[in-house]
This record gives sequence, C-alpha cells and structure tokens, in this order.
Amino acid sequence: QDKTKIRFSAVFSEQDIRAEMMKKFADGIGDEFEFEGFYGGMLFKQGTELVALQRGNLEMGNIAPQDISNQVPEWSILTSAYLFRDAAHLQTFFDSELGEEMKKMAEDKLGVRVLGPTFFGTRQVGLKSDKKINTPADMAGIKLRMPGGDSWQFLGQALGANPTPMAYAEVYTGLQTGAIDGQDNPLPNVQNMKFYEVMSQIVMTSHLIGFDLLTISADTWNKLTPEQQEKVQTAANEAIAWSTEQHLKQEEELAASFKEKGLDIYTPDLDAFRAHAQKMYLESDLAKSWPEGLIDKINAL
Amino acid sequence: MRSSSARHIFEWLRSRAENIACAMLAAMFVAFMLQIAFRYLLNLPIGWTHELSVVLWIWLVLFGSAFVVRESEEIRFDLIYGPATDRARRVMGFITAAALIVLFGVSLPAVIDYVTFMKVEKSAYMKIRFDYLYSIYIVFAVAMIVRYIWIAWLAVRGQAPEAYDPTKASSGV
Amino acid sequence: MNLASPFSISLVVITALALLGLPIGLAMLCGSILYLFMAGLDMGTVAEQFLNGMYSNYVILAVPLFILAAEIMNSGSMTERLLRFCNVLVGRFRGGLAQVNIVQSIIFAGMSGSAIADAAGSGRMMQNMMTREGRYTPSYAAALTAVTAVVGPIIPPSIPLVLYALVSDASIGYLFLAGVMPGLLMSVLQMGQVAWTARRNNFPVEEAVPLREIPRITWRAFPALMMPVILLGCIYTGVTTPTEAAALAAFYALVISVGLYRSLSAKEAYNALLISTKTSASIGMLIAGSLVFNYVVTIENIPNTLRMLLIDWELTPIQFLIMVNVVLLLLGCVLEGTAILLIIVPVFVPTAQALGIDLVHFGVVVVVNIMLGLVTPPYGLLLFIMTNISGAPVKDIIRDCMPFLFWMFVCLGLITFFPEIVLWLPRMAGYGA
Ligand code: NA
Ligand code: NA
Repeated sequence: QDKTKIRFSAVFSEQDIRAEMMKKFADGIGDEFEFEGFYGGMLFKQGTELVALQRGNLEMGNIAPQDISNQVPEWSILTSAYLFRDAAHLQTFFDSELGEEMKKMAEDKLGVRVLGPTFFGTRQVGLKSDKKINTPADMAGIKLRMPGGDSWQFLGQALGANPTPMAYAEVYTGLQTGAIDGQDNPLPNVQNMKFYEVMSQIVMTSHLIGFDLLTISADTWNKLTPEQQEKVQTAANEAIAWSTEQHLKQEEELAASFKEKGLDIYTPDLDAFRAHAQKMYLESDLAKSWPEGLIDKINAL
Repeated sequence: MRSSSARHIFEWLRSRAENIACAMLAAMFVAFMLQIAFRYLLNLPIGWTHELSVVLWIWLVLFGSAFVVRESEEIRFDLIYGPATDRARRVMGFITAAALIVLFGVSLPAVIDYVTFMKVEKSAYMKIRFDYLYSIYIVFAVAMIVRYIWIAWLAVRGQAPEAYDPTKASSGV
Repeated sequence: MNLASPFSISLVVITALALLGLPIGLAMLCGSILYLFMAGLDMGTVAEQFLNGMYSNYVILAVPLFILAAEIMNSGSMTERLLRFCNVLVGRFRGGLAQVNIVQSIIFAGMSGSAIADAAGSGRMMQNMMTREGRYTPSYAAALTAVTAVVGPIIPPSIPLVLYALVSDASIGYLFLAGVMPGLLMSVLQMGQVAWTARRNNFPVEEAVPLREIPRITWRAFPALMMPVILLGCIYTGVTTPTEAAALAAFYALVISVGLYRSLSAKEAYNALLISTKTSASIGMLIAGSLVFNYVVTIENIPNTLRMLLIDWELTPIQFLIMVNVVLLLLGCVLEGTAILLIIVPVFVPTAQALGIDLVHFGVVVVVNIMLGLVTPPYGLLLFIMTNISGAPVKDIIRDCMPFLFWMFVCLGLITFFPEIVLWLPRMAGYGA
C-alpha cells in the first residue's frame, strides 16, 4: 500500500522550535507516512493555509485561531485578550469537553480537524519610551503596532493604546525611527527580530497566550485507519507538549537576557488590564457571536 | 466603413480602460497619503488604507495587463524575438499564443473554482468578500485568452505580432 | 534530476516561451500551469499563489509609487533643473553625467531598500537625463542605471537584509551598518570603470557653466535637491515607513512641480499617471509570475535536495564561501532574488554557522550576491525593467553591463575574502565586543 503523503505548511522558520516539534511529530507517526514540511510561509502565505487545507492542496497546517474565526465567528472568543491565563490553562481547555465542542465545530463547518494548540509564547507590550505603564490609562496615546485587521486593532484598543497596523518587516525600523512607540509580540519574536535593540522596556502585560492550531484536513484524517489516527494524535500530543515546555523555558531565559541587556522588565497591574479588556470585549460586536456563557466556563477551568 | 467604426469603439473602450487603471493608481497614492497624515499628523492610525492599497495594486496589475498594456509595452526577453524576421515572428507568435490559450484555457475551470471558493473569507478591514476582491483574476484570464486568440488569428492571417500595435492602429483615427 | 519530470519540462517550457517572445511574467504563469497539470495538482493554485502572493507582499507597493514619483519629476521641469545642476557639479569631467548616475544611486540607496524601486523610480529619471539630446546611447544609460541600482539594497535601508536577518537571526542593526562599506566600495569601482571608458570612448563633456550662473542654477534646483534630504528626514524621524516614503516622494514631486515650478499641466499630469500605470502593470505581472513559479520550486523540494548534497561534502570555510558564491550567482541567473533569499539561503546558514563564519559577514556576502543576480543574464529583473524603461534591446544592455559586472565580481571577491571590509563599521559601533 502507498504511504500517506502529508504536506505541512507553516509561517514559522525552519530554525524555530516548532519546526523541531514537527520533526518529532514526523518521527512519531513513523514510516507509514511521507511527511514534507514547508516553513517560512514558502508554500502558502500566512493566513492562506486554511483554504489550502479545505481545497485539498495541503494535508496539514499550523493555523492561527484568527483564521478559523474568519469563517466560524464563534471561534473569535478564543482570540480575545485575557482569556487564557497561561499555556497550561490553554492546554486544559483544549483537552476539556468545551474544547472538544469547539474542535467539533471547526471540523463540521470547515472540514479540518484540530490536533491541538501549539503555544508559541505570551504576547507582551514592548515600548521605546521609558514611561512606566501600570494601568490601561497609562497606555493612552501610545502608538502600538498591532498586526493588520480589525480584530487585532481592537485588541490594541482593549489594552488602552492607540493601535496602528504596520508590516511585520517594518516594525524594527518603525521603532528605531519613532513611527511607532511600541509593539506587542511574544519574547521569542522580540529576540528573532532584534526589537530589543530599539526598545527600552517590556511591560509584562501577558495579554494574549499566543497559540496556533496544528490541524489536519478532515479528508486526510478520515482516510486513515483508527490505528493510524491514534498514532497521529499521540505523536501530535507528544510533540506539542515538548514544544510548549521548550517555549516556556525560552521565555524565562529571554526575560533574564533582556534584563541583562538593560531593558526594564516589569509586571503592571494585571487586574486593571484584564478588567478593562474583558469589559471592552463583552461590550463589542465580537462578543455577540460567542457561545453563551463560554467565557465564564473557561475562566472556571 | 464598418471596420473603421468598430475600431473607433475599440479605441474609445481602451481609453476608458486607461482612465479606470489610472484612477486605481491615483487612489492608491491618495490612500498612502491619508495613511501618513492620519498616523503622523492626527495621531489616528487607520488600517483600511493599507488594505485598500494592496487590493488596488492587484487590480491595477491584472486589469492593466488585460486591457491597458499594449503588446509592445510588455516586458519580454527579446534576444531572439527582437531581431527575428516578420515571418519568423509570425510563427513564434502563433506558437506562444497557442501555448497560452491552451494552458490558460485548461486551468480556467480550476481558477474559477478557487476564486468562487474564496467567498468564505472576508478582508480584515473593509469586510469585502474575497471572491469579489479576487474576481479580477478570472477577468484577466479570460481577457488574455481572447487577446491571444486574436494574436494567433492575425498571425495565421499573415500579420506578424509586432504589427498588431494599437499605437499604430490608432494613429489614423 | 529526471529530465522527463514535470519540473524539468516546465522549466524548459518557460525558457522556450520566453525566448519565443511571450512576455516573461506570462511565460512563468504558463510554465507553472503546465507543471500543476502534469503533477496532477490543483491548477487553481496558479490564481491562489498569484493573488495571495501579491496580497501579502506589502513592500512591493513602493514600486508603483516610486514609478509615479519619477514620472511626475520627468513631466515637470525637475529633471531638467537637476540636469543643469549636475552640469555645474561634474559636467566638466569626461563622462560627467555617468558619474552623476553613480552618485545619485548612492544618495537614493540611502532612501530606498529595493533595487527594483531604485531602477523603476530614480533610475527612470537618470535614464531620461542621460539619453536626452543623444548624450549616451539608451543601452549604456540603461546598463549603468541597472548596475548602479544594485547598490540600493546594499547601503541601508535594505529589504533583502531584513529578510536575511529573518532567516538567520543575525542583528538587523549591525547588518545595516555592515552594508555601508561594501556599497560604497562597489560604487567607487563603478566610478573607476566609467572614468576609464569615458576617456577611451570620448564620452560627452557638458559645456562649462559660467561662474555667475552657478548660484541661480543651484537655487533653481534646490527644491528638487532637497528631496532625498526630506525623504531621509521623514524616514529617520518616523514620519513615514520606508514603503510610505515612496508615496511621499510622489507627493513632494507633485507639490514642487505644480506649486513651485508651475510646470505641470493637467494633461501632462494625466500622462505621467498613465505611463506609471502601464509600467506598474507590466512590472507587477513579472513579479507575480515569479511568485507563482516560486511555488513550483518549493513544492519540488529543490531547497532540501540541495541541503542533502551539502552535508555529504566536508568543506573549509573558504571553500564553502566560494561554493555559496558560485551557487548563488548561478541561481541568480535564472531565479528571482527574494525567492533565493527565502528558499536557498536558509539552507546555507546552519552550515555557515557550524563552520564559524560570521553571520553578519555572511549576510552581506549573500545579499551582494543576490543583488548581482538582478543584472546577470538571462534572468535579471533589473535588466528587464531597464529594457522596459529604456526601450533598448536587452542584449545591448547586457553587453554594456559586462565591464561593470567584472568590477562587481571583484567587489564580491574582496568582501568574501576580507571580512574586515564588511565588519569594520559594525565593530566601530560595538559589534562582537
Ligand atoms: Na543610478
Ligand atoms: Na538602501
């Protein structure tokens, strides 16, 4: 019998921890499969992998939850600020009954099966100025670069800032020249893009637990034997657990290394930020599509 | 008489196509200026200008290539094509036109399928459905097929591709 | 590689269609469709890659806007005023205007991070200045404009260096500094070549300007001369991003042409817009065509095949650098630069690191290499763009590029074997300390 071919596409680079994760996954599923990984958005551009999966041009992808919420509005709850407390909370949710329901929804509506959440770091606000930030009010007027699109810009507002879109590749120069006052990214990105060279402080707002979804197209999934499905799911679980652990370790090391480089790193009044953000989200149109009571159930997990 | 009025209509249409393509570039320029002004002067960053410019760029390239750019204005590798005789260029023009017609034609159903599939996605700011935004590709593909059928027809009829230069064709009008 | 494989056949078909005169962007689309058909893949991918590739490449938008800026400058009297001023500056030297093209590229390199934007933008202006009244042949002017535009992304700001930083984790700040000396070195070598040819070919000397005319000519050109200063100022004070600076350039050109020089009629303005539109559309088709073909190269796993080969050989750092140079130069002849940077270079970076090669040094060598690929035939984007702008046959442009190419290879050799040329400035700023 022919090997099952799995083409996988992701935006992260081949040097990323998550590329290592996929290698572990490929080893885990064994030689019944022919795994081909494409990294750095070389095969499909950021945000276009989902349609590629749906159209059968890709077997697996690392998909942002924002992309799923484009087609399944209920999913937008999973992209809101201060929803998950940390990586463990995120994993707990996806392992829970609630998580199963959300995954089922994606499978029914999009024809893609979510294998698990791939944590890639907690988003923190990095600023060029050395003005101390304690509450959302302190963020007023700060030109904070956020990724393009309404939902991201809304997240910036929920932090109390003046969000501005800018191409990721332009952020370094933008900070250097003052076109923007700050950016929000997980610490590993700050390291990769050398943003720390042009920032003076990192406010540990932890406003969003950054994660993507390791997904497989339902077509591919349904053609597998139950044993193979089991094998794929187990390999995914193990690889994801390893990757999450690596990321947490890296975040800790990076915070220390940035401090050593002279950046001011501190935690603001998180309760004030959480209260402000959740209130704004609940009052917005976005919340209208959220499953009834889900936010409380997630908070209670 | 008939052919001259047909040519007249054709040229009129081309001028309107030029107007539209120019409007796209002008709008792109204005969107950029608004973006700078809103962020720097008013401290009110806006995102839709970003999206609008990218969409206009795609439309400009596809619409422009389909209806505005003339054969003689295309970027081509003219190492062999340039010095070739009229007769040779007729053959070359026919071969390339046939290849393009066949390949664009064969891929057209799949292309239409992709573009219509994109109805499931909306743009981030203006919330425009992607099948609308991307529909211009279908227009482009069909226009190219028609255009190259015309080029191939002229080549068979004995007219070398370079002679199909609307600049010359319209000079008498 | 199997000669009857879909990939080989599509490569042959693209080459054949391009040689037979099909516009290059369309040839790449046709070849890619053929590949998808033969490989049994979804042919809708050709639209998918075209559209999403263009949709997510925001920086390319600088291209049409720089073209527009240049068209406006050409239509008003800016070019003419700059030309007069250049006469004052270097007209008295043999081949003075050609030297101006080089100096101008250094100045524009400081404003733009893309060689294509340089050639399509300021390059168009230089092309017109040089060929006006038959001073230089269109092909020589086009060749010079192409080779000088190469400096654009070597001297900061630089889009390719940012992309390299992304795939290598090297510091963007130091990479930018590292590009300065190699960029200037390349320009100095080009100046030497121009001076030599000027003497041999008796290039035109512009008429000496009477001393009393100089202040007036300078004053008349002053607003135009301020353009790089204003643009640089706007970029470095954060008024605009480098991409937006292209729009600002067009705006500034419009304001001084209409407001200050009162030399741009509505009809001329529309004409400038129309020419920019057409040029943008045909250049955009070329970029999109290479984006689509890039998909074919990626799905064929060409990068991985290459990496497997590398592991088998055991090389010294110098041997490795020579090999990378040869490979990238060869690939540069047939592939698009960004594709090489994003697909091929990541394959080399881990090996370079393992061999103890400085990644900032390696980055500049790689980017200079890829920039040379823009002017090496048969596939050199700058050559095509200058063909489009100048109307000169591509083979004449290639012929006139040859002496410059020689010196650019010399420059590449120097920075490959003497890392100090590259690393001196970053070290002054604290790199590796
Ligand atoms: Na130049
Ligand atoms: Na530059």
